[in-house]
Amino acid sequence: MRCSHRRQVIPILEIMILVVFAAAPMMLADYLTVFVTRVLILALLALSFDLVWGYSGIMSFGQALFFGAAGYGVALLARDLGITSICIVLPAALGIGLILSFFIGGFLLLGRYPPTTIFVAMGTLTGSYAAERLARGWYYLGGQNGIPSIPPMTAGSYEFAEGRVYYYLAFSVLTIVYLVCRFVVRSQFGLALAGARDQEARILFLGYQAQKLKLTVFSLAGAIAGLAGALYAFHEGFVGPSMLGVVLSTQVVLYALFGGVGTLIGPIIGVIAIEIAGFWLADSFPKIWPIMLGLLLLVVTLFWPTGLVGAVVSEQERSGRFGRRPFPPRHTDAGADDAAA
Amino acid sequence: MPLLEVRGLTKVFGRLVALSGVDLIVGENEFRGLIGPNGSGKSTLLKCVAGAEMATEGTIRFGGRDVTIDTPTRRARAGISLKFQMTSVLPALTVYDNVLLAMQARSPIPRLIFSRTRGPLHERIMHTLEQFRLAQHSTKQAAVLSHGQQQWLEIAMALACKPRLLLLDEPTAGMSLEERRITGELLTAIKRHCSLVIVEHDLDFIRNICDILTVLDQGKVIDSGTVRYIQSSRKVQEVYLIRV
Amino acid sequence: MGEKTEDKCSSPIISRRRLLQSVAWMSGAIATGVGSWSVQSDWANAAAGPIKVGIATDLTGAIAYVGNACANVAKMVVEDVNNAGGILGRPIELIIVDTASNESVGVANVRRLIQRDKVDVVLGGITSSMRNAIKDSIVTRGKTLYIYPEQYEGKECTPYLFCTGPTPAQQCDQIIPWLIKNGGKRFALPSANYIWPRVLNKYARGLIEKNGGEVIFEEYYPLDQMEYSATVNNIMTNNVEVVFNTIIAPGVGLFFKQLYQAGFGKRGGRLACVYYDENALNLNAPHEVEGLASCLDYYRAVTVQDPASAVIQAEYDKQFPGKILFAGAATGMYRGLKLWELAVKEAGSLDREHVAAALDNAKISEGPGGPAEMVPGKRHCKMNMYTAVAKNGKFEIVARSASLVDPREC
Repeated sequence: MRCSHRRQVIPILEIMILVVFAAAPMMLADYLTVFVTRVLILALLALSFDLVWGYSGIMSFGQALFFGAAGYGVALLARDLGITSICIVLPAALGIGLILSFFIGGFLLLGRYPPTTIFVAMGTLTGSYAAERLARGWYYLGGQNGIPSIPPMTAGSYEFAEGRVYYYLAFSVLTIVYLVCRFVVRSQFGLALAGARDQEARILFLGYQAQKLKLTVFSLAGAIAGLAGALYAFHEGFVGPSMLGVVLSTQVVLYALFGGVGTLIGPIIGVIAIEIAGFWLADSFPKIWPIMLGLLLLVVTLFWPTGLVGAVVSEQERSGRFGRRPFPPRHTDAGADDAAA
Repeated sequence: MPLLEVRGLTKVFGRLVALSGVDLIVGENEFRGLIGPNGSGKSTLLKCVAGAEMATEGTIRFGGRDVTIDTPTRRARAGISLKFQMTSVLPALTVYDNVLLAMQARSPIPRLIFSRTRGPLHERIMHTLEQFRLAQHSTKQAAVLSHGQQQWLEIAMALACKPRLLLLDEPTAGMSLEERRITGELLTAIKRHCSLVIVEHDLDFIRNICDILTVLDQGKVIDSGTVRYIQSSRKVQEVYLIRV
Repeated sequence: MGEKTEDKCSSPIISRRRLLQSVAWMSGAIATGVGSWSVQSDWANAAAGPIKVGIATDLTGAIAYVGNACANVAKMVVEDVNNAGGILGRPIELIIVDTASNESVGVANVRRLIQRDKVDVVLGGITSSMRNAIKDSIVTRGKTLYIYPEQYEGKECTPYLFCTGPTPAQQCDQIIPWLIKNGGKRFALPSANYIWPRVLNKYARGLIEKNGGEVIFEEYYPLDQMEYSATVNNIMTNNVEVVFNTIIAPGVGLFFKQLYQAGFGKRGGRLACVYYDENALNLNAPHEVEGLASCLDYYRAVTVQDPASAVIQAEYDKQFPGKILFAGAATGMYRGLKLWELAVKEAGSLDREHVAAALDNAKISEGPGGPAEMVPGKRHCKMNMYTAVAKNGKFEIVARSASLVDPREC
């Protein structure tokens, strides 16, 4: 079964989303642009989860921990040191996410033998929970109220106000990170990750240091989550303990599963779908919209376990191609076209 | 100096003694067969050598170094390669990618991220695929291969990093007669650069490719020697009750 | 249109009909899902269009009973104002959004109020964390007035943000001396671990000590703690006479129950909980909270003393019979809306600067609990404070401030 013969659905989805969201601010009212900006930032967070679960088999219930930690970090930079320059806060957020996930990942993932999925899930869940409680009780971080009134992000004397400007900032960051992730998961490293995800025990015997592979991708995902956290903090203007906690961590998991993990574009579509559905439902059914949203999630995960994208994409396309195109094989495949998946 | 030196290997699972005081010496370029009734501990012995199980007692030396407590990754990088009983190719990936996965195992992470080793490895991958009669299927999904072909793919993957010792656990299970013959050819071809310890039930197959056989029963080594010797060994006949 | 206004004012039958029409319209709105809870005024007087008031409160979530009371009060007040001719000849359009006890959702919905609906003022937020989350979108980025109606810990001094709920000073200044006289000098301060209790306790402690009392212990517990036997033991063995409690739901009901079972009330101990209103009283059986003292700007029992309050209470009960009682932040909402109405009338326009300046010293002579007065420059509100004691599951007023109490903020 040759990739080149079957039409690839994912690139079509990617182009569609790219075009629609590049053009969106031109067609939307200002307040809707602000809403979609927030959605794009959450999509970045969901992307980080797809890297760890969809591509590496690490069930992390702690992506919000890195998101929130970086959010708090840049909020403190702004509040206590007056630093709001984009050239400092975005790298700082990447750094916070990277370092925190490196240490937590190191603790959870390294060791003589690879940890079980449940161990990692519980470990990250605990981390997220503990961080939220810590933030809730610590006066310096604002306790329950969090840190309000964060000044806007700046570049020199220019302020990134919410609206079109911030939208395109978030959109650019998301696009760049998406391309980086795409590059990584389609490389030989991505192939190794596929091995670590599907046959972790086996690849040890091939000589892979599977734990190191996982730690690498976990740290990358943590950095991305941190970046999203900084963008979120400056956009919303406040950070609170709920940015760190289990509820948001679980929401991220749901977004990704809903959209379809292991595809990169799936979780982005998932976030967009759920947030838009929630927004519209809240408008029309102010008292019962949480219930309706929950039912929607339930129905999709029951009938389409591979998510929205998984329903239209073949299994083989989901697993993907790795590295540059293989050199043409020496023997021809004419007539040997098996129909699989 | 022997390539593999297992001395006094004991493995206990709770109350079950799977291996008891097993000695196994394998030299360079030697093909060793492990035979014995079901439950005699053959697979367990392979797993202990590869690191899938940790020995309860005893020592394992490989290439002169003590690897008794080494992780599977370290042992693999030292040159021990294990092919499990159950197929563990990645079914959704292509045949080519499966072999690439095996071959790039030693590449450092940064080189993997930038796909630096793929070009240099291409020749070796194609050569291996040809060797194992899979070249024409290289862009197909591994799932569409026949059972026999999947076994060959796995052996190819196990040989990808040029191990010094290959451990095979029942590679011909489920194969047709013709496939067995081909497997025998494929394995004989690697003798020049690799030792082999193979667990098998197909005694004809083993007789054709192995120099020395070791017979296990209930976790102990009953006897060990050339095929002819084992065939006429009284001890083995008592245990086995089958003509070798 | 002008004549119709007159007719409506003088004929209660017509206003009742309009009420039914509004209710029917609202039901239609739910069924067809049109917009957020917009109570559309059905006469547009001036070409300038209606004045838009945005309410952002918890319609869903754990404290929805407070949020819904606020929303109800807003609807009631706006309708009354519209019946009386609106403000500056324009009707008020009320737009209510849900903050869902979730700060992210709250901010998103408040943005909608500001950017899409372009409201002229926002009232709402219940918890301090919600207020802190949404205030920036309203006041700084949205350049709109914000009125926060709930009792809280104080120290909110953001410009254009006006608070119409009781502050720690208002809740403690009267009740602490009363407690010392009617309870004892040995105080315990069991508290929930978040900002409001900490700030309140700090203020209370100062007052306690100034009035000759003593704080035996002050402890903070996690918000979800349900087991308080250690605390109860501490209280009983140390002969604490007054328990000044700031533990909140869900643990508070159990704490009071455990305290009662240990015999605290029987030996003469006094339980005090300044935030407790009629809704909260229902968390326990009457005998468990018998004698509990609380200090708020309004109780149902106030209607006996204050005719204006009685009118408001009666109107609310009639329009909204059921379980959402007129209590808690709802009184602050009433006060806030009326003060704002006055300010707009005085300013003669909806320009934020002018309205804020007028609001800064606005006074209403009638409201739940009595009159209310903004303290100039402080953006907090003087009001009557009542000390009430629970008797048989209902609050009875035992003391009332001599005059409007200063909030002492900013």
